[in-house]
Amino acid sequence: MEVREKTNFMDNATLHRLKAGDQSLFAELVRDNHRALIALAVPIVGQSEAEEVVQNAWLKAHQAIATFEGRAQLRTWLGRIVINEAKMQLRKRGRELLFSDWQSDEQSGDALADRFNRSGRWQSPPADWETDTPEDLLMREDLASCLEELLDAMPVNQRTVLELRDTTGFSFEDICNELSLSASNVRVILHRARSQLYKLVDHYEETGEC
Amino acid sequence: MLTCREVVNSADHLIERELSRRQQLAMKVHLLMCRHCRRYVRQLRALLQAIPFMHSKASDSEVRDVMEHIQSHQSESR
Repeated sequence: MEVREKTNFMDNATLHRLKAGDQSLFAELVRDNHRALIALAVPIVGQSEAEEVVQNAWLKAHQAIATFEGRAQLRTWLGRIVINEAKMQLRKRGRELLFSDWQSDEQSGDALADRFNRSGRWQSPPADWETDTPEDLLMREDLASCLEELLDAMPVNQRTVLELRDTTGFSFEDICNELSLSASNVRVILHRARSQLYKLVDHYEETGEC
Repeated sequence: MLTCREVVNSADHLIERELSRRQQLAMKVHLLMCRHCRRYVRQLRALLQAIPFMHSKASDSEVRDVMEHIQSHQSESR
């Protein structure tokens, strides 16, 4: 996806400077990715420990940036470091994520299920969004705060898979490996998370409210 | 013929280009005839492209904290 790629767009010369130890470029990398990485860590270790996990991940990233080979996007590479740190933090605390619980999580079904009639046709079709370019969608601060509220309230499995796939760019295979979930489970969870986001934006477009 | 609900359930796969040719064709036939589903797929595509940018940039103080943490660790290890 074009926009997804832009999250870590860096030409070769800039990447070379970053890998050579340019501190101002590293600070820009922090600026662009810090909050997304915090959001990735929160569902795994909780709000109170996410900051520490990401701080430690930045330290590791700084030490290893010269070895970044550019095969993955920078944010994906950073995300992997955060996941490893988060798992290490859980181990230190004698805790673990109960992925088996995730698989049976049925607390929220498909958010758009009630939009169809019995024959599977739209009974409540999507609103015609005033703006449907990615840039315009995010220009609106009130919508951004609605999205933030929704993410905070999202079940932990949906939030984690959404952050891994859609904000950090992990492949499905990597998500399955990291979370020990089956591919079909990951897809169902991701579909539910995206449906919730779609429903929220659709409602916002129709009513101007969260 | 796919139903609208089936199109919505498979729209992620269409956008991620994970459908077989036969499935793609079935989706295209439906989309040609259904403006609601066309709108859904168009808007979902825009939403998915926007998601990576949902998280705003870090503030100056957040960046400073990270950089200071790194620097203090570097001076400790020297």
